Parts: sequence; C-alpha cells; structure tokens
Amino acid sequence: MSSQLHITPKVTIPDFLVGEVQSKLAYVDENIVGARIASTGDRITLDLREQAEGPKRSELEEKVHRVVTSMVQGAFKPKVQILEDYLDRPVPSSVDPNAELLVRGEMFQEAVGIFTLGPLVTRLISFFERQFIGLADSFGAAPYRFPTLIPAKSLERVGYFRAFPQSLSFVMHLREDLDAIDNFAQHAACDEHALNTPADSFARIQALLSPAVCYHLYFALADKPLPGGKMAATAVGNCFRYESVNLASLERLWNFTMREVIFVGPKDFVLQNRETGRERMRGFFEEIGLAYRVESANDPFFIGEFKKQAAFQSAFQLKFEIRAGLPFKQSTLAVGSYNYHQDFFGRSLNITLPDGSPAHTGCIAFGLERMAFAFLSQYGLDDANWPDSVRQYVLVGLL
Amino acid sequence: MENDNLIVRVQETVAEALLVPASQVAPDLAFGGIKEWDSMGHMGVMMLLEERFGISIDAEIIAALTSIPAICEYIQKTGKE
Repeated sequence: MSSQLHITPKVTIPDFLVGEVQSKLAYVDENIVGARIASTGDRITLDLREQAEGPKRSELEEKVHRVVTSMVQGAFKPKVQILEDYLDRPVPSSVDPNAELLVRGEMFQEAVGIFTLGPLVTRLISFFERQFIGLADSFGAAPYRFPTLIPAKSLERVGYFRAFPQSLSFVMHLREDLDAIDNFAQHAACDEHALNTPADSFARIQALLSPAVCYHLYFALADKPLPGGKMAATAVGNCFRYESVNLASLERLWNFTMREVIFVGPKDFVLQNRETGRERMRGFFEEIGLAYRVESANDPFFIGEFKKQAAFQSAFQLKFEIRAGLPFKQSTLAVGSYNYHQDFFGRSLNITLPDGSPAHTGCIAFGLERMAFAFLSQYGLDDANWPDSVRQYVLVGLL
Repeated sequence: MENDNLIVRVQETVAEALLVPASQVAPDLAFGGIKEWDSMGHMGVMMLLEERFGISIDAEIIAALTSIPAICEYIQKTGKE
C-alpha cells in the first residue's frame, strides 16, 4: 500500500541545493516513487510504494540523512552568472503540449523515459538539426558518426563511474554457454515492470549505452598527439541517462538525442569557439523568438562527488546552460549547453598538443527532443502561430 | 619570517588535501602542477584551507586561488594571519 513519509533533515537544505538534493533522493531506495523538499529546506516528503515501518523506516531515514548531509555540509554556494536573458520574450502559448502530442499521435510512450515521436515533431527536430549543423559548418567542423555503445574501460578512464553512477545504462548479453542460453530461452518472461531471467544468464559487462556524444571523439584521439594541434568536429547521437522517477515526458528522457559541436586544441581556441558559438546561436534564437536564458550550471554529479565537482564547475565557469522557458509550468528546461572541460580529457586520455601539453576540450550540445518540446511549449501545435522559417521548413520542407 | 611560516603551512595543508608528501608541494606549485591537483583535488584544498585557517572561501574566489602564492596572498588579505 502506498504511503508518505515526512522527514526533517538534520541540516537545513539551502535554496540553491533544493533541486539537486531532491533529484538525488530518487536513488536512495527502490521504495521511493517521488520526493519533494519544502522550499524552506527543512522538510522532506517521500512518496513510497509501500509503507515503511520499524527497521525499514529507520534504514530509509538514515539513507536520506546521509544524502542530505553529504551534499549540504560544507557546500559552496554557486556563483550564478547569467550571460543572456530573454525569458520575458512574448510567446503565443502557455498550454502544456503533452496531452495534444499524445492525442495527435505525435508522441507515444513505449515505456518510462522511452518515446516514439511522430512526423510533426520529427520534422521540427529536423529543422533544429539543420540549424545546429549550420553552426557546426560555420566552424568547419568535421562530421563524425559515433556508436551507441561505449566500452566500460573507456568510461572508467575518464572517471565516469565515480561521477555519474546513478545514470548509467548497461549493455548485457547472454553468456556463451549453451545451457545458459537454453535456460534463458525457456524461462525468460516479462512481468509488469521487467524481464525476469535466471540470475546467471548474463556475461560480464563490457559496454554501456553512451551517456554523451563528445566522449567518443576524445577516446578516438587518446594516447597520441592531436593532428594539426586543434580541431572542430560534430556528430549527432543517441544518449542514455537513467533518471529513475525523475524521468518525465520529453523533458527528461532515458534515451534522447544530442547534436554536439566539439572543439579540441589549446585553451584559447576552445574558449573562443565556445563564445563564438554562443553568439551565433543567440542570432538564431532571436530569429525564432525563443524565450530563454543562458546561465551558469553544473552537471548532475552523484552524491559523493557533487559538492566538489559542482562547485568547481561553477567557480571556473565551465558550463552554461541554454534554459528555454516552459510557460505552462512557469519554469525552464535546459535545451543545450556551452561546455569547457579545461584539460581534463587531454590529461586523462593523453591527448597532446604540439608543445607536449595536454589538449583542452569543449563542446556545444543541444538536446533535440527537449528543443522541440520547449518550442511546442512556447508556440503550441497550431502552426499558424509559428515563426515563418519554422513553419515553412516543417510544413513545406523549405529552409 | 612570518610569511615563510605561512607558505610552509599552506604547503602542508595543500599536501594533506591532495594526499601527497609535502616534498611534492613546491612553494610556487599551481593547479595542474601535479596530477593530484585536479578539479576534485582543488576543491579538497579549498575545503581544508577553510578548516585549517578559519577563512571563508566563496565561489567567487575559488577560481583565483590556483597556486600557493595566490592562496598565501588571500589568507594574508583576509587578516587571518
């Protein structure tokens, strides 16, 4: 029987951490199906699948306190920097597009976090893709195609398991063993939630589903001098980040698509291109009348690393998100980001510049489904309200 | 003399935060100068400096305190030494 559990944290959660802590509570226990933190930071409400009493309740509370204390104590308040603010740009719609997308067959949920998209949304994504490819072309970025799988040993090399363990998606296959395969074939069956299989069916994990696009380029460049000393590249790819109960509609997908423009080279080359890219995108967003803001941000590091890594990203201005307005819920959604990794990948993967120093890297990334969702949230599905350039491309195929 | 003392204490604190022998932390060492002084290491240094010197380091200043001399200068400026 479902129930609620209220917990008073041992330390008050400051407002700048409420969202971060709330999202991490999803990973505390499989019994949790929802978590909310009061804006005052002194009360946590957990929605539970089934009531937790006695030792189970104590264990749950202890884990919640551990998460809160770990993330809050000694946390540095981030330096919030806003580079562009066009959130008050007037847009014609304030209606939640989800219901209409479902009714019109433009969005079909296969499972939590897994969606099939219909022709209108697909064309809309194609429109944005054309713009982003245009941005890549303006830098002379070389096109790449990267695999959907990513080797475990590569992710280990860049510390991904430590930084983002909660969002990993593993790829498994059956053991090369006739009995195991036969046993699986005879007994594997799905219940309401998952595939039930004999416990010893699977081989050891060699690969995961890729959580980002640019990593593949860095792995390809590893352990050798960077040809020409600098490069720009671009690719689109499927990305996978498991977000538990935080998965929601097109806003937060388990399987989503990212277009990235990637820079590798000296520090100034990477930073200058990141800035130039931002200026060029500002022109495009103005052209389509998007309401958005560009502000400093941090990646969703897991609990153990969150405090230090998030503060570091903030202090060194490594990440800026393009946050588009969602008028129907009076909030914003990150539809893209401008990122600088310093020489982290250059050092971790031994990518060297002509002078022998580690290469710096950065990328401009766009979430294609989120971009389309934000646009539809601001403009609705009635194309009569859309900007001409979008309508012409989506409806007539012109650009 | 006092300044020398401060440099040594900062070197010791940085070494402790980065889990390296003090001999690896030169008086002019900077972020990235040894592999342990990376992003995680840097934030560990900031947190231990706050604790050991009783100073408050906010996000505005973290990016500036990237060398032993810069840290010493900041500690002196904040009047804790």
